Amino acid sequence: MNKELEHSFVELLEKHQNIVHKVCRLYTNNYDAHNDLFQEITIQLWKAYPKFRGDAKFSTWMYRVGLNTAITLYRKSKRTINTQDFDGVEFKIKAEDYDDTEEQQLKTLYKAVHQLNDIEKALVFLYLEDKDYRDISETLGISEVNARVKMNRIKTKLRTILNP
Amino acid sequence: MDELDLLKKDWNKDDNKYPKLTYNEIYKMILKKSSSIVKWIFIISLLEFVFWIFISLLLKDTESMKRFDQLDADAVFTPLVVIGYIILALFFYLFFRNYRRISTTDNSKVLMENILKTRKTVKQYVVFNLIYLVIAMFAGIYIELSMDQLIIGQIEQASANGEVFKFYAIFIIVAVLVLALMIGVMLLFYWVVYGLLLKRLNQNYKELKKLEF
Repeated sequence: MNKELEHSFVELLEKHQNIVHKVCRLYTNNYDAHNDLFQEITIQLWKAYPKFRGDAKFSTWMYRVGLNTAITLYRKSKRTINTQDFDGVEFKIKAEDYDDTEEQQLKTLYKAVHQLNDIEKALVFLYLEDKDYRDISETLGISEVNARVKMNRIKTKLRTILNP
Repeated sequence: MDELDLLKKDWNKDDNKYPKLTYNEIYKMILKKSSSIVKWIFIISLLEFVFWIFISLLLKDTESMKRFDQLDADAVFTPLVVIGYIILALFFYLFFRNYRRISTTDNSKVLMENILKTRKTVKQYVVFNLIYLVIAMFAGIYIELSMDQLIIGQIEQASANGEVFKFYAIFIIVAVLVLALMIGVMLLFYWVVYGLLLKRLNQNYKELKKLEF
């Protein structure tokens, strides 16, 4: 039974692993930290899996456990500091970085998102994953109205970071 | 198009840019041990319970405690010991109940609250122990001063020399210093261990709470 459970879990996670990679991409800024967080999210998903019921979509369930691990359970390990850059993250953005070309703009945007706090990143993540405000509010435990208000504030904040 | 929509377009564009872990790599991961803060909180909390049980056992074996046994002070100490164990059992139950409620499938706010609640139970247990320690200490001092022939003899000698005030003062100062030292060490422990462990959680919890207004 346990083997069966393991098998079905690993197969599902293998298929949906990009969700976890995306969470790691937002919350870490180098390769080691990315792997570290991926590992912890996998363990937490596995621990929660016996209680997973088929009535929710596996991916939706993953968003919740993945984000919760990233913003609540995960301890940044010391060895992940000062290693190679994964996403080219630099924390100070100068005005001249903001170029008209889309690629440059995107690079700057990713850097700006990395400067947001953990909760703001969670909102951005769910927004990027095309979740509606109901999903966002249910995942984070805030009201829909507050999720909307916060999202607008984040947009303004990002604009300020990009156009200081 | 606003900035986030531009990002969204790119975010969902190319799924091949992420590492592709194989079945075996993921399988190996589920066999590893978690290093989450919940696990650490669980271990440290259990150690705290063990620490206090150990302290009470240790105190029982000291010379002065053995002297207490001869003093026929059971009327005071038996209830204290019984109450101590009942409250330990109660806190232990509350701790496990709260711990089992921690679930990563809850929403973030509830999850954070449940973790903090588990911590709060242990914190209350520690506060209870400190209060208990103070009460036991004063009960002990009272018994020593009123029943222990050795001490009574010393008091009589001190009052004969006109130093009874000094005698009591030393007694109380030593007791207070020992308590202060214990509380100091514990506060330092909390500050370091839980400060490091819960910093991120507390920050994020505050941020979520802020959204409620």
